[in-house]
Amino acid sequence: MSMSDRWIDAEFETIFREHYPRIVRVVRRVLQRDSEAEEVCADVFLRLYSKGPGVAAGGQIGGWLYRTATRASIDALRANRRRGLEEELEVNEFVAVDGHAKSPLADLMRQEHIAEIRGVLAKLKLEKAQLLLLRHSGLSYREIAEAMQLSFNSIGTRLARAEAEFSALYERQQRRSLKRQPLQTAKEGQ
Amino acid sequence: MKHGEMNQGTLRAYLDGQLYSGQATAIGQHLEGCVACRKELAILRGHSMRVQECLNRLPDSAETANTAIAWAAFQKKREDSMESEHNRWTWLQKISLLSGSVAVVAVILVLTVAPVRAWAENLLAIFRVQRVTVLEINPAAMKNNGLENNQLLNQTISRVLSDEVTVTQKPQRPQLIADSALASNDAGFTVRLLPDKTPSSLLLESGAAMQMKLNRDRIQSILNEAGRSDLHIPESVDGATVGVRIPAGVMAFYGNCGDVASRMVNPAVAKNVRTDNDASVQHADATCVSLVQLPSPIVSAPQQIDPAQIAQVALQFLGMSANDAANFTQTVDWTSTLVLPVVRGESKYEQVQVNGNEAALLRPTNPQRSDRFSLMWVNNGIVFALNGTGDDTTAINLASQLQ
Repeated sequence: MSMSDRWIDAEFETIFREHYPRIVRVVRRVLQRDSEAEEVCADVFLRLYSKGPGVAAGGQIGGWLYRTATRASIDALRANRRRGLEEELEVNEFVAVDGHAKSPLADLMRQEHIAEIRGVLAKLKLEKAQLLLLRHSGLSYREIAEAMQLSFNSIGTRLARAEAEFSALYERQQRRSLKRQPLQTAKEGQ
Repeated sequence: MKHGEMNQGTLRAYLDGQLYSGQATAIGQHLEGCVACRKELAILRGHSMRVQECLNRLPDSAETANTAIAWAAFQKKREDSMESEHNRWTWLQKISLLSGSVAVVAVILVLTVAPVRAWAENLLAIFRVQRVTVLEINPAAMKNNGLENNQLLNQTISRVLSDEVTVTQKPQRPQLIADSALASNDAGFTVRLLPDKTPSSLLLESGAAMQMKLNRDRIQSILNEAGRSDLHIPESVDGATVGVRIPAGVMAFYGNCGDVASRMVNPAVAKNVRTDNDASVQHADATCVSLVQLPSPIVSAPQQIDPAQIAQVALQFLGMSANDAANFTQTVDWTSTLVLPVVRGESKYEQVQVNGNEAALLRPTNPQRSDRFSLMWVNNGIVFALNGTGDDTTAINLASQLQ
């Protein structure tokens, strides 16, 4: 790997092609619109390009990309919510989800549930949300420690705390949803 | 393994099979005889499963990413970005003409643009520049921080800015203007020119205004990105809306300044000029003098924001020790001072007087360019920057003629 200040174009293209599919996959999980996810990914690679090959000194380009992409996607998710751009639910015809046909109503409920999960992620501290995304994208503790520049021994504790907070927020969210549903049903019945 | 050696982190790693085999065996044996730890493990497992179940519901897009299309789109974006890098800080370049780290100028301006007086009736602190001082920055510290990488910092900041900043008055391209009367009329203040000299070009720079909602986490992430997670942005910053208004200004060029004015008016000219050897380039010579003047930029912020506290963070970010930052902060009247950072070794500076006003006189240390000066001062709320070639006396005499 060149240690000069600038990337060699062919070298950068190889890195882009190697890492892009994995990175965009994580970002697409966080952001509803694929176009926005792709834009965020392009920004992340642009930053890598600007940063130069020095970032790869420890052979940790993947980790840097994961850290930067998860942070950028959570930032974008929060920004969308601050601007009132909540997830748009689409009414679809019968759709196939996981190989099974779903009714439009079931699909709407699925979309709503996804929006709630993203809402919980957006409420977590940035580092906690990143840890959850990285761990549940299959990174080992060693890889997470490298990506997040944290001590290996602290990952278990940090992960446990992040999961506990996610669970608590999620439960609260579900209780609110359950309270809302009878009210909506009553209103619709009037 | 003893019960006292067990903790949440070890148990969580045990669940994920992320311990060394000997450690995992020891924990397994302990769990067989410890009800409390088994209970704790069950809670951790429950949380982990819930997260897993939720995150698994997020769409794992079946559509495979088309890397070839993404690469083509990325290349286009990269070209656009590099193009805009050339044009980004032109205002700052013009007004300070500091060599080297222009991005650092931007950072410190954003963080420390100096306060002026509290305006209690609006619950806002209105910051207005009344004087200029110079802060010398150690380039070694900047290098350690990665701040010398102008592009990287721009990228990080521009990402935050693009999300959080609302431009309420978009800056327009500079316009050639016929004379000082018209310039004064359009700029909204009395424009001063050098007596007995006719400008070769006179440009009107439009004003600009923007609002930024501060997000503590994101600003902190810039510090973290630069490896300074030890610095902490005060909680009071979070959610505050800061307004910045840069009034319209005027630039006057005297002598042979090449085609600098026409390139500012028409960037396409600059775009076509690629090399110093290009015969079409018109070079400025030692007779060139430029004078920039504009009313003080105004920064408005909620009163809960303590500019001195933020300045201390900014100064440490630029490589100052915590003690030095605290000491420097006390020496500056943050209610009226614009702090200009100067990179040690790249520019030398001294404080001088222009018509009774404190002024910062800067020169490049590069011997080939050290005869060039940049003099900056504030008079009656108007910020002046005079740039030219000559010794200190020439610079100060020229500036004094603007009385």
